[in-house]
Amino acid sequence: MVVAPPPLRRIRYGVHQGFIVGISVASAALLLVPVVWMVGAGLRPIREILSYPPTLLPKALTFQYFERILANPTYRHYFLNSAVLALATLGLALVLGSLAAYGFSRYKFPGNKAMLMGILALLMLPRVTLIVPYFHLAHVVGLYDTLLGLIIVNTAFLLPTSTWLLKGYFDSLPEELEEAAMVDGCIRAQALWKIVLPLAVPGLIGVGTFVFIGSWNEYLLAVVLSETPRAQTLTVGLAAFFGQYVRDWNGIMALSTLASLPLVAIFVFLQRWVVQGLSSGAIK
Amino acid sequence: MAGFRSPVGALAEPVAPSQVRARRRLPRYAAGYVFVAPVLLYLLTTAVYPILNVVAMSVRDVAAGRWYFVGFAHYRQVLQDPVFWNAFRNTAIFTVASTAAHLLLGMAFALLLHEVWFSRALRNVTRGALILPWVFSTAAAGLMWSLLYHPFGLINYLAVGVFGRAQPFEFLGDARIALASVIAVNVWKSYPFYMVAILGELQAIPADLFDAAKVDGAGGVQRFWYVTLPQLRGVLIAISTLDVILTFGHVDLINILTRGGPGRATETVAFHVYRTALLDGNLAKGSAISTIMLVVLTLFCWMYLRILARRGSESW
Repeated sequence: MVVAPPPLRRIRYGVHQGFIVGISVASAALLLVPVVWMVGAGLRPIREILSYPPTLLPKALTFQYFERILANPTYRHYFLNSAVLALATLGLALVLGSLAAYGFSRYKFPGNKAMLMGILALLMLPRVTLIVPYFHLAHVVGLYDTLLGLIIVNTAFLLPTSTWLLKGYFDSLPEELEEAAMVDGCIRAQALWKIVLPLAVPGLIGVGTFVFIGSWNEYLLAVVLSETPRAQTLTVGLAAFFGQYVRDWNGIMALSTLASLPLVAIFVFLQRWVVQGLSSGAIK
Repeated sequence: MAGFRSPVGALAEPVAPSQVRARRRLPRYAAGYVFVAPVLLYLLTTAVYPILNVVAMSVRDVAAGRWYFVGFAHYRQVLQDPVFWNAFRNTAIFTVASTAAHLLLGMAFALLLHEVWFSRALRNVTRGALILPWVFSTAAAGLMWSLLYHPFGLINYLAVGVFGRAQPFEFLGDARIALASVIAVNVWKSYPFYMVAILGELQAIPADLFDAAKVDGAGGVQRFWYVTLPQLRGVLIAISTLDVILTFGHVDLINILTRGGPGRATETVAFHVYRTALLDGNLAKGSAISTIMLVVLTLFCWMYLRILARRGSESW
């Protein structure tokens, strides 16, 4: 009698699994080489960066480039600008986006479908098509080279996404909960504030992370709408640094590492919600 | 004066029943407008108005600070300009190559992550690592890659030092490979978005379909071809259309890596807008190119919305 099949199956399954895991881990490691290289370049002395043969990890560690960046008031100012831009956009996109998402999710009014379609179309509008009017209008209304102008236009590009994703999220929450609250004497706005938003926290975190990452990384609008460090953000500072001090690879890489650090930290902690937001059915 | 009623007095008097009914007849959905009004107003002023503005600027010209009407002169100029058509060609290559690579990589990694792993934790860490490139700013991504692309950088070390190539590649300086080098960075930066979208859809495929196929004796390849792929068809069409739209308007990476160069080898239509309007300061001509982009995008957008509508998105 042959009794082999089950264990045999399991062994073959194991090989198959090992292959899948091996390929995936190897690919992930390979795709992270640029990141490892960036961090390493900020930490190793200049002579090691372009040395032959290159080593994956720095042989001699130095923090002088990081210290130099952090000691520079201009770069600290870029950090501040990026943070203000990202947080202000986050606030606007979540507050206005939740209100509209709630309206679209709970009421069917004449024109709601057309408005939703219009917002979806704006979601796909590339920034570059509007740089001319923004550049022109910012000068006209006196918002050129100000952080406020940048916040306003940046929000315009992230608001459609946040409205759409939040609408999808609110649709998944049962309306009976608010009806129960309103029977107890709440008005709509209270029901939204006390019942719906607390339940929607995972959705808000996901969308908020999406908005924050998008704003922190915003580049084109900041380049177009600013000319002095007053309104420039980290991404603009990085690109300018790159153009100006072409040979200072250590400094550039230390600065990009520092600029990326907040996002990587946020991503590591909020990965679950980001993934949920990215894979949310609303835009595919 | 019994016949005279001041308007103020009228307000103070008890409201007639008919008026109460009139007030209540305000439909229930009216509150919906109150909720959506802020976003609509915001987008009308900061997005829709600038769109109209760009179209209006494209048919005018400026001299001594005054704008005057010139009709389609800028359009004629742009459409007859070989620089524009070069940019158009580069955009087509950039978009098609990026989209294809995004889909292939996204699909491959989604399938790998969807498999059964012996360790759930290892799978989650790997998934996180595979998504990570998406987190970095285009500026940071461009800078990391320019270090790798450097004549004495890592990739050239492998090419020259290990594989014995006579000369290092000029990844960003050689007109023949510069566009491909930029595309590679764009693929690295954006494939996670598509990977996650496909992974989400894979996990939604009912397991019975695979079991049924297995019972019918279908192997792994057959199951992929006859079960997985048809189930994913909808999402693949939708995200590739979305990807085309998003890639089409991409300009950051090119500005950071090559500034359209060498020559105009990596100049796309989006970068052409930036160069014409901001670097050369020709706002009117830049508006005309922007408007051409808007027209093309509207076509893509319409296609995308049709696809979404046909998929019967549950959102509306």
